[in-house]
Amino acid sequence: MAVTTAPVRPSEPGRRPDAGRRAGLDRALPWLLLLPAAITLGLVSVYPIYAGVHASLTTYLYGRPVAGAGLKNYTDTWHDPVFWQAMEVTLKFVLIAVTVETVLGLGLALLVANVVRGARWIRMSILAPMTVAPVVVGVIWRLIYESETGFVNPMFTSLGLGAPNVLSHEGSAFFGLVLVDVWEWTPLLFLICLAGLQSIPQEPLEAAAVDGAGPVRLFFNHTLPLLLPVLAVGVVLRLIDAVGTFDQIFVLTRGGPGTATQLISIYAYNTAFNFTDYGHGAAMLIALLAFAFLLVLVALSLMRRAAKRVAQ
Amino acid sequence: MTSGSGPSMKWSRRSVLKGAGLGVAAAAAAPLLAACGSSGGSGGGSASGSSKKVIIGSFQDPAMAPFRDKYVKQYQQETGVQVQYSETSYDAWYQACKSDGLNKTGAYDIYVMDDNWVPEFAAGGIVQNLDKLGLKVNPDILSKGLDQGYWPPKEGARLKAFKNDTPALYSLVIIDDVNLLYYDTRHFSSPPETWDDIYTAMKKKAHPPQLYGWSARGVKGNPVVQTYLPLLNSYGGNFVNDDWSPGFAGPEGVAALERLLTFLPYMAASTPEFDTDQETSLMLQGKCMALTEYTGTAVTEIDNPSDSKVVGKINMATTPKQVKNGPAIGTFICGIASGSPNTDGAVKFLEWFTSDRIQTQFAREGGSAAVTKTALNDPQAVQKYRWLPAIAQSVQLSTPKPRTPDEPKFEDILGTQLNLALVQALQQKGGYDQIAQKYLNVAKGQMQAVLEQNKNIYF
Amino acid sequence: MNRAGRYARWAAIALVIVGSLFPFLWMLSVSLKRQVDIFGGPSLPKQPTLSNYTALFTQYHFGAYLVNSILIVGASVLASLLIGTPAAYALARFRLPRGLNGQALFAALLVRMVPPILLVVPFYIILAKFGLLNTRLGLILLYTGINTSFVIWIMQSFLAEIPTDIEDAALVDGDSRLSALRRIILPLASSGLAATAIFAVITTYNDFLIALTMTSTPAAQTVPVGISTLIGKIQVEWGPMAAGGIIGALPILIFAFIVQRHFVRGMTLGAVK
Repeated sequence: MAVTTAPVRPSEPGRRPDAGRRAGLDRALPWLLLLPAAITLGLVSVYPIYAGVHASLTTYLYGRPVAGAGLKNYTDTWHDPVFWQAMEVTLKFVLIAVTVETVLGLGLALLVANVVRGARWIRMSILAPMTVAPVVVGVIWRLIYESETGFVNPMFTSLGLGAPNVLSHEGSAFFGLVLVDVWEWTPLLFLICLAGLQSIPQEPLEAAAVDGAGPVRLFFNHTLPLLLPVLAVGVVLRLIDAVGTFDQIFVLTRGGPGTATQLISIYAYNTAFNFTDYGHGAAMLIALLAFAFLLVLVALSLMRRAAKRVAQ
Repeated sequence: MTSGSGPSMKWSRRSVLKGAGLGVAAAAAAPLLAACGSSGGSGGGSASGSSKKVIIGSFQDPAMAPFRDKYVKQYQQETGVQVQYSETSYDAWYQACKSDGLNKTGAYDIYVMDDNWVPEFAAGGIVQNLDKLGLKVNPDILSKGLDQGYWPPKEGARLKAFKNDTPALYSLVIIDDVNLLYYDTRHFSSPPETWDDIYTAMKKKAHPPQLYGWSARGVKGNPVVQTYLPLLNSYGGNFVNDDWSPGFAGPEGVAALERLLTFLPYMAASTPEFDTDQETSLMLQGKCMALTEYTGTAVTEIDNPSDSKVVGKINMATTPKQVKNGPAIGTFICGIASGSPNTDGAVKFLEWFTSDRIQTQFAREGGSAAVTKTALNDPQAVQKYRWLPAIAQSVQLSTPKPRTPDEPKFEDILGTQLNLALVQALQQKGGYDQIAQKYLNVAKGQMQAVLEQNKNIYF
Repeated sequence: MNRAGRYARWAAIALVIVGSLFPFLWMLSVSLKRQVDIFGGPSLPKQPTLSNYTALFTQYHFGAYLVNSILIVGASVLASLLIGTPAAYALARFRLPRGLNGQALFAALLVRMVPPILLVVPFYIILAKFGLLNTRLGLILLYTGINTSFVIWIMQSFLAEIPTDIEDAALVDGDSRLSALRRIILPLASSGLAATAIFAVITTYNDFLIALTMTSTPAAQTVPVGISTLIGKIQVEWGPMAAGGIIGALPILIFAFIVQRHFVRGMTLGAVK
C-alpha cells in the first residue's frame, strides 16, 4: 500500500531551543493522532465481529439461541450446494462489475479532467446516479426493464429485434443487474480518479510533454503510476461494497430467475432473518467476510505488482 | 464545508494534548448539538404509563388502512381507552416484534402478524395463549379463518415437540385474506368452476398480447408459490404430508404444475418476472381474462378509477376446482405480546374488533375482508362490494399452508424450482409433464435435505 | 487536441450524460403518473399529477425523514472527518514500528468489510443497552464509527501523495506539525477531502439496513427507511416511490454541488517551492 516511508523528522539538536521537546512530541504525535480513531473503530468493529462469530457457533430455535453448535453451522454451509452456487454468482458479479466500473470511471475522469466549460454540470451529471438510494435504484431499473411498460422492450422491438424480457431469463437478468451496478457505481471510481488526477503534480507531465512524449505514453508512464495508489483505494472499497450488494437485487429480481442473481448477501439475509436461522446465516456471513478479505488482499497485491511494473 | 482550508481544526499550535482533547470534544459536541430532542425511546422496556393504554404495532399494508385510520380512533371514542398504533415496513416489523417478544421488553400489547409467523411466535413463546387470558371468541367467526391462530394446528403435520398437545388459540384473525378467482365478466358469462372451464375459454378467446387468458406471479420464492397453491390443493396434492414429507412431487402435484404450464402460451412471455403489480395490471388494463389473487386486489384496486380501467367489470368467485376447490389462506392475525403491559386491555380490544357489530361495519365501509359469517353476507355490504360472499366461501374451502417456522424456507425452495420450470416451459413450449416432474423432484430433494438437517424438531 | 478529437470528446461526454441521467428522467416521469398510468405503457404521463409528491409528505412522513437524514448525516460525517483525517495523516507521514502502518490500515478497513447484516444485531444490542434505540444520536454514533474507517483509508492515500518537501520547508520555518497540517497539507488535499466527504455523505445517507433495524418511528427514521415502507407485503407504491427517489436524492445533489468546487487543482505544488 502506498504508505510513503517518510522518515520521522530527525531532530537537530542545537539548531532550535525546544528541539528536544519537539522531538518528544513528534514521537508521541502519531499515536495521539491515531487514538480517537482507534477507539472509535474498536467500538464498532470488535464487538460485532465477536458477536457474529459467537452466533455462528450457536444453534437457534424459534429465534432464540438454545445450544452451542460447535462447527455444525459451518459444516452445514460447506455442504450446502445453494451456498456455493451463490458464491459463484457473487464472484462473477463482483469481478465483472468492479472491473467495468474501474475502467469506465478512469476513462470518464480522463475525459473530463481538463474540460473547463460546463465542468460543474458535467461532473454533477456523472455523479448523479450515485446519489440515489439503492432501493430506489432497484425500483427504477425494475420499471425500465419491465416487460409490459418498461423502456427496454419497446426499444428492441422498434429496432426489429425480439423483446428481450430482461428479467425473465437467467443470463439477461444477471447482466441486467451488472448494468445497474455499473450505472450506479461508476461515478464513485470517477470521483476518486478525478480527485487523484487533480492531486498529481503537473510539472513532470509538462516536462515530459515538452520532451515529445505522446498522450498515451504520458498516461502509462507518468499518470497511471501516480494514480494507482488512489485507484487501489477505490477498487478496494468497491469490491467490499459489491460483495454485500443487497437492496437493488432484492427489489429487482429477489435473486431470480432461479438463482441467477442470488448473491450470498441475499441468501444469507433470507436464512438469517426470514428463515429464522440466525446461526446458519451468521456462519455464511462470516464466510463472506473472509471472502471479502481475500478479495481485497488479492486486489491489492495485483495492483502493487502492476505499479512496480509500470514504474519501470 | 468551508472553502479551501478544510474542516476547522481546533488544535492550538503549542499543545498537542490539549488539541487532541479539544478535537475529541468537538467531535462529541457536534452530535449532541445536532441530536437535540429526539429520544423516541421504544424497544428499551419503556413503561406504557397508565395501564389503560393499548399499544398496537403492525406492518404497513393497504388492508390495514381502515384499521389504522378509523377503528383505532373509534375504539378510543367508544370506550375512552387510549390506543396507540404504529406501523413500519414488513421486514422491519417482523424483526421488531420478534425481538420485543423474545426479550419480553413490553413495548407493545398487540402484534398484528402475518399468518405464517404464528408457528414460530406460538412455539417460541413470543405471543401469549389467548385461551388462558380468557379471550372470548366470537362464535360467528368463520372457523377455518379462526383455525389459523391455533397452535399446534388442528389439522395437518405437527412438529415433534407439540405432537400430542391440545391446540390452543395463540392469535386471533382480524382480516380473512384468502385466494379468490378474479374473472372478467366480458369474457365469462358465468363464473368458471373448474380449471378445464378456464382452459377451454382461453383457448377460444385469448389472443395475446391484446388479451391474455391467464396472469400469474412468477417471481421465484413466495410469489410463484402463491400461484401454484390453488392448483396444487385443488388437484388433491399436499405441500407437505402429515409426516412432513414433501407432497408436491407426487402425481397430483405434477398434474397441477403441468396444468399451469399449459396456460403459458396464453400468458405473458415475461411471467417469470411478474410480481403482484404486473400480474394484476394486466387485468386492471382489461387485458386478462382471469387470474387468482388474494383479497387486496378486490378491496383496493378493482373498482378504483385511479388504478383500474375495468371498474365494475370484474367479478370474484372461489378458486377453480379439479377434485375440490383449494384456495390458500393467509390471514392478518393478532397476537398479544409475551411482555405486554396491558393484557386485559389487549383482550378487550381484540374482542371488540372481532365483534359482530364492528365486523359488519368493517365490511360495509369499504368492503374489507371481515372475518365473521354475518358480516361477509350482510346484504347492505354485499350490494356495494360483490366480493364478500366469495371471500366467505373461499375461507371455508381453504387449505392451510404447512405450520412450521421453516415454512418461508420451504416456499423459497419450491418457489425457486417453480420459477425455473416456468422459464424452461416458455422456451421449450412442450413436454410440460416432464418439465413439471423434473423441477418438482429437485425441490423435493432440497426440502428433504432441510428436514434431515433439522430432524430433531420434525421427526 | 485537434478538431476531430474535440468533437469525439464532446460526443462521448454527451453520451455519458444521457446514459447517466436517463433513468432520472424515467423516475421523474413515473413520479408524475397515476398508478393506472404507470402500467399503462411507457410514455409521458397522460394526466400528470403531483399527488405522489403530496402523498409523500402528508401520508408518509417524508418531511420528518428528510430532517432526520440531514441531521444524522451531517453530524456523523463531520465527526468522522475530524477523527479520521488526523489518523490518516499519522499513517501517511510516520513510519510506525513493526510495519504497523499496513496493519493499522487493514484494521481500519475491517469494520467496512463486515457485511452490514452481521453488524445490525450487535449494534442493536449495544444501542438497546444505552437506551439509544430509535434516536438520532444512536445512529450518529454508529455511522461515525463506520465512516471513520474509510475516511482513514481514502485520506491516507491522498495525503501520502503530497511530497514531504513542502512540509519540511514549513517545519524548518518554525511551524509545528499540526499547523503545517492545517495550513498547508489540507488545502492541497482538498480534492481528496471533497471526494471523501461526498462519498461519506452518500454512503451514510443511503444506508438502509442499519437505520431500519435501529429505528421504529419517524422520530428517528431516515429517508431510505421511509422509502422502504412504500414496499408493502404485496405491492409497491411505484408513484410515491419514484417521487421519494427524486426528493431523497436532492439533499445529496445539493451537497455535492456545493463541495465540488474543490475539484479544481489544488494550489500548484510548484509555486510553494
